[in-house]
Amino acid sequence: MELSDWELVQKCQSGEMSAFEDLVSRYYQKVYMVILGLLRNRDDAMEVAQETFFRAYRKIKSFQGGSSFYTWLYRIAVNIAIDTQRRQKRNPLDFRETMDEVLEEQNEVAKDPFSDVHDKELRDRLVQAINDLTPEHKAVIVLRTLEGLSYKDIGEILGCSEGTVMSRLHYARKKLQSKLGGFL
Amino acid sequence: MKNCDSTRESLGAWLDGELDRAESEAVRAHLEGCVACKEEQRQLEKLQVALKSVLDSEASRIAFPPFWSSVQQRITEKSAWREDLVDWLRSVFSGPRIAWAIPAVILLLLGVLSGDSLVSGFRSFGQRNNFASVESIDAYGRNVALLREDETKTTVIWLYQNQEGEDESTTETRPSF
Repeated sequence: MELSDWELVQKCQSGEMSAFEDLVSRYYQKVYMVILGLLRNRDDAMEVAQETFFRAYRKIKSFQGGSSFYTWLYRIAVNIAIDTQRRQKRNPLDFRETMDEVLEEQNEVAKDPFSDVHDKELRDRLVQAINDLTPEHKAVIVLRTLEGLSYKDIGEILGCSEGTVMSRLHYARKKLQSKLGGFL
Repeated sequence: MKNCDSTRESLGAWLDGELDRAESEAVRAHLEGCVACKEEQRQLEKLQVALKSVLDSEASRIAFPPFWSSVQQRITEKSAWREDLVDWLRSVFSGPRIAWAIPAVILLLLGVLSGDSLVSGFRSFGQRNNFASVESIDAYGRNVALLREDETKTTVIWLYQNQEGEDESTTETRPSF
């Protein structure tokens, strides 16, 4: 039977490294994607994702279960990503470039990664549209789409109200819709 | 009965299951009788599928073994002494313990001031002896400033906190965009 996050956290707190490994395997892709949504650059996102889990490991003994583990984890990730953004003076690579790279790499080794959408034009426009979103709009879209988090959880992670989350999601979707035009 | 504008305003939240029962029922009722809003719903659903496909394809690219190996490397190799020191300082200076830290720093500054005043009083009788000092009292940007103007015998003690200085790892932290 699969252990809950809280059960794994408790095992971590008593020193079981394998429990922490389970938590990392459960969340590393989602954490990476949330960070990539904020930073745009894959290398930076990978660096921040690894740092997120390192800091989570260092702080896990102080986690009391007052909030859910993933809310706590994403909050660490978002804070490090924002700090990284503030420190960066160089221009980040476009999300579009990074995503195109990824899709090309996948085309070389596997099936069409966009087979679920069946529309290259739609894919290209969507990637461009995501790239054009502001960080706060991108963050809500990624947290909601990938993780299916509630507005309450997203608000806790980003430090804003549920109403703000709803509003940001609404406007982010409107922007994406308008960029995609007749392709939807 | 909702109109088209208010329905479209809450359509995303309705699809996300974030509306209360009454609001949700109002949206559903409007959709049943409105072709245009039904089309809007279809577009939003397709957008959601497309978004998930794009984001999932990127997420699935990252293999676990190298990622975990890098995290493990950080855990074992990254020097812990600095973090331990920061943790210790935070535990000493945060929360209720700040109660003794503030008066302790003020007393220290007053002590320095008195000593300075005494020494300079002997050394340069009749000269002005103005004094200003700013000390940091914890890791959260709290400071105490002490100003003394000799001519008017005015002493000002000022406690303040810097605006920056958030701790990303605490549950209280609220990042803002």
